[in-house]
Amino acid sequence: MGVAFVAHCLLNQNSKVGDGAHCAGVYSPVVDVLRDKGWRIEQMPCPELAFTGLNRFWAVKEQLDTAAYRRHCERLAEAVAAAISVRVKKGEDVVIVGVEGSPSMGVTITSSDPLRGGRPEWPEGTAEHVSGEGILVEEIREALAKRGIGFPRVAGETHAIPGHDEAVQRAGLESALEG
Amino acid sequence: MKPDARSFRIALVADRYVNPPPDGLDAVAVAAQTGWGVMQLPADDYPPEVAEPLLAEVAEQAEEFWRHGYGFVLVGERAGLAEALARVGVPVPDGITPQTSAQLAGFLGGRPAPRAGWDTGQTAG
Repeated sequence: MGVAFVAHCLLNQNSKVGDGAHCAGVYSPVVDVLRDKGWRIEQMPCPELAFTGLNRFWAVKEQLDTAAYRRHCERLAEAVAAAISVRVKKGEDVVIVGVEGSPSMGVTITSSDPLRGGRPEWPEGTAEHVSGEGILVEEIREALAKRGIGFPRVAGETHAIPGHDEAVQRAGLESALEG
Repeated sequence: MKPDARSFRIALVADRYVNPPPDGLDAVAVAAQTGWGVMQLPADDYPPEVAEPLLAEVAEQAEEFWRHGYGFVLVGERAGLAEALARVGVPVPDGITPQTSAQLAGFLGGRPAPRAGWDTGQTAG
């Protein structure tokens, strides 16, 4: 058993960008796995909600990666890293459960397109999905490194990724929990 | 694209209801069944220097929802929450310290419709 630090929206889909909420509130496919395996749940703050608001557009990482947003994420990351630090010092196992494809919360897949900007019209597609971490996840990694704490294992909710398969998502989460 | 399924309803939930003891009340499960989102309050075993920044972030995010008319309730309690909300001008919402899942489900189900909502012509925000 351990502690799963989960992206805010996995417990609260109201924080999603417009048209992005997959369900009313709690995204059960992830929560159910954590419950089944006996893991504690710790909800991380949503970095985009407080900074760009409920009316924000979808965005890629380059659009959000401003100095001010980095400072905002650094502040959130310090709060999250302090909490992770408490758990690690107690000898508890920690994983981070992010949101794949997110410019902020991706753990192995983020969204990137250096040319995207201006009038928000672009074809539906997946060209922006690349390997990498979102901005808050990068800042958590750095905040933990400053504390001498290794970065935890990660898993991601994959709803935004083409070909999303709930069984594959579950297997990935279970693999991260089992280490 | 599937329509946005958000409920515009959010429960601020004490940690002991998010991570209940054996046979304790699982408020996340009740929220999932009744269509509420959950904002978790910091665990009671965090020292103040860890809990206070987390509470400040909860308050800042609650403020964004609050100003857009989302419905709010408090499930359980958390020291320092009222002060954190006051700093951003958000009142402590109506609350409950439930003993049973049915009691919590009844409370959540009986709340008035939030000001925000697709059927009121508003957007997500």
